[in-house]
Amino acid sequence: MYRFITFLKIFPVAALACIFAGCAGFTDDTVVLRVCNWEEYIDEGGWDDDEAIELSDGRVIKGEDAMYREFEQWYYDTYNVKVKVQYSCFGTNEDIYNQLNIGDTFDLICPSDYLIMKLMHEKRLEPYSDDFFDERDENNYYIKGVSPYIKNVFEKNETDGEPWSRYAAGYMWGTSGIVFNTDNVKTEDARHWDILNDRDYYRRVTIKDNVRDSYFAGLAMDKSKLLLSDDFRNADNYGERLAKEMNDTGAQVVDDVCGILKDIKDNAYSFETDSAKADMAAGKVDISYQWSGDAVYTMEVAAENDVELNYIVPDECGNLWFDGWVMLKDGIADDTAKKHAAQAFVNYLSRPDNAIRNMYYIGYTSAIAGGNDNAVFDYAKQCYEEEGDDTIDYDISYFFADGDTDAKYVICADPKSRYGELGARYPDLDTISRCAVMENFDDEAYERINQMWIDVRCFNIKDIF
Amino acid sequence: MKKHFSRRYLGIPYMIFLIFFVIAPVLVILYYALTNGKGQFTLSNLFGFFSSGYAIGTLVYSIFIAFIVTLVCLILAYPAAYILAKEKVRKSSVLIILFITPMWINFTLRITALKEVLTALEGNISYYPFLNTVIGMTYDFLPFMILPLYTTISKLDDTLSEAAEDLGAGSAKVFLKVTLPLSVPGIISGIMMVFLPAMTNYVILDMLYNSTFIMGSLIGSYFAAYDWHSGSMISIILLVIIFAVNIITDRFADDDAKGRRAVL
Repeated sequence: MYRFITFLKIFPVAALACIFAGCAGFTDDTVVLRVCNWEEYIDEGGWDDDEAIELSDGRVIKGEDAMYREFEQWYYDTYNVKVKVQYSCFGTNEDIYNQLNIGDTFDLICPSDYLIMKLMHEKRLEPYSDDFFDERDENNYYIKGVSPYIKNVFEKNETDGEPWSRYAAGYMWGTSGIVFNTDNVKTEDARHWDILNDRDYYRRVTIKDNVRDSYFAGLAMDKSKLLLSDDFRNADNYGERLAKEMNDTGAQVVDDVCGILKDIKDNAYSFETDSAKADMAAGKVDISYQWSGDAVYTMEVAAENDVELNYIVPDECGNLWFDGWVMLKDGIADDTAKKHAAQAFVNYLSRPDNAIRNMYYIGYTSAIAGGNDNAVFDYAKQCYEEEGDDTIDYDISYFFADGDTDAKYVICADPKSRYGELGARYPDLDTISRCAVMENFDDEAYERINQMWIDVRCFNIKDIF
Repeated sequence: MKKHFSRRYLGIPYMIFLIFFVIAPVLVILYYALTNGKGQFTLSNLFGFFSSGYAIGTLVYSIFIAFIVTLVCLILAYPAAYILAKEKVRKSSVLIILFITPMWINFTLRITALKEVLTALEGNISYYPFLNTVIGMTYDFLPFMILPLYTTISKLDDTLSEAAEDLGAGSAKVFLKVTLPLSVPGIISGIMMVFLPAMTNYVILDMLYNSTFIMGSLIGSYFAAYDWHSGSMISIILLVIIFAVNIITDRFADDDAKGRRAVL
């Protein structure tokens, strides 16, 4: 049986390899880089002329071709080595993980925080080389440009005693929170997670159709009192304690969350993966649990329909998430040329102009602040700066400023933009300090939480008797 | 050359397809269903399914939905198929196209359109998840019920019903004693075409915001939780149920064939 399965694994790969080798006619010196990324998560090019972004220093940014294609040219021009990017996509973290287990091999993938941790734990990741962190190399755009804030998160957090930064390079990041219709929902209500369960908004609420995000919301509701208490808030180790509370998978807690989610199921319009963006913009629902990047997109679309939406990270806490590029041991297989190309790919995506292209195209926030290059902040300013008397100073220095400098990164923005696109794209320091990363669950916790999810979603035969 | 060529060879491409994409995957599923995470043989996935109230509940819920959908489809489809089959040729071909054209459009698109219609009718579609599921599935599967019924009824020998009338049966009696029994094979294949997909097509449920799992979504949730073994076992259990339904309906079809001989 096992040999048979191995054969099944090898056959399509071999067939594909033959096809590729046959039609492309690669010579031996071409490096093949297999990249797997989220769907719609890189600039595919083809911008119209009026979409071009002009920065204040006169640079014009425009996506001509798919970025991975332009990378091939850039790599050849820079290193005089031919590279061929085989680019493919996945839909969810679980999909890509299952794909890896079936035997698909990739060199570079872009999973979310918890899957990075899981892959680290399973020792399947190839660490970045020391060269990658050398700031003197002008092509090392990642280390030169990554936001000090993201850099700190990646260095401070560890899995099995090793920092994430050794294995992962940040790509996009954000928070999770509540998108709501300002006409029909009171802002005060949206400040708390229990709005998802509020019968005043019966069947006008959507929640994420995946167990991790739903569990996070349920957990925040269950622990609401503690999370909001002054003692907890003002504790010296607030960040640590918050992270601990929001990763609690004790049996009693899971049980309580199960009850909360069952109530939400009765109150919600839908458990959705993608449809809430359209439903919000069309005004079918008033409240939606969203990731910040999708919130930006939803607010933009809704504004075109004259529906005003806001985005708030509730007072209890929010989920800080990020997607990062990791190299796989199986794929790289100690091939130094390939590893070089993979790291160069990450650097190319981190070049400030490319980070802006991706942000524009995807709607999410890049982990790149730009370092010495001011382009990314300039772009943010261009998007959100307003003139007039009633503006607020929106400070996002924590993200852009290196610890050594006193430079301030402040945008004079419309007061509304705190809960608008600006707030979703770059949360302020106050918001970000009440966000926690949701870590990977161990097997036992995962089983418990998945069983809870089945309890929430399934019809129980015992209810009849 | 001609002498050596056997018509059997034409079946080879299909055999290869069958081995790689039908038989092999089933074997792989079976392997996962009967092993645990360490690759050891176990039946715990099987016992796990039957000892879980939620798994059985989901099975019951799926069968219930499928039953209602099949019933509604049958009630809607039989008269339609009957009228179609009895109509004069030109008119009926137009009607058939009306029934079949929706099938040329991808079903997710059609369900999206249906969602808008239901929103217009109901205001907020999340108030009626069960009703919407039945409407959505009926909408999607109706052609699969109409077509086999239409084929069977249009092939019925008119002389049989004329003979029954000659022998003094009223039109109701002709229908009940002749037409209906003779169209049972069509009914059976219609039921087969509707009942089984209705048990597992969770995409329609998701799209119409019915947040209760059916069998398809339950399997999906196990795979999303990296538990391939329990997910595979549920797939195998479904497969067994489908086989059982097949065998039962086959017996009905046989009875019907005997019945037809008796009528003749």
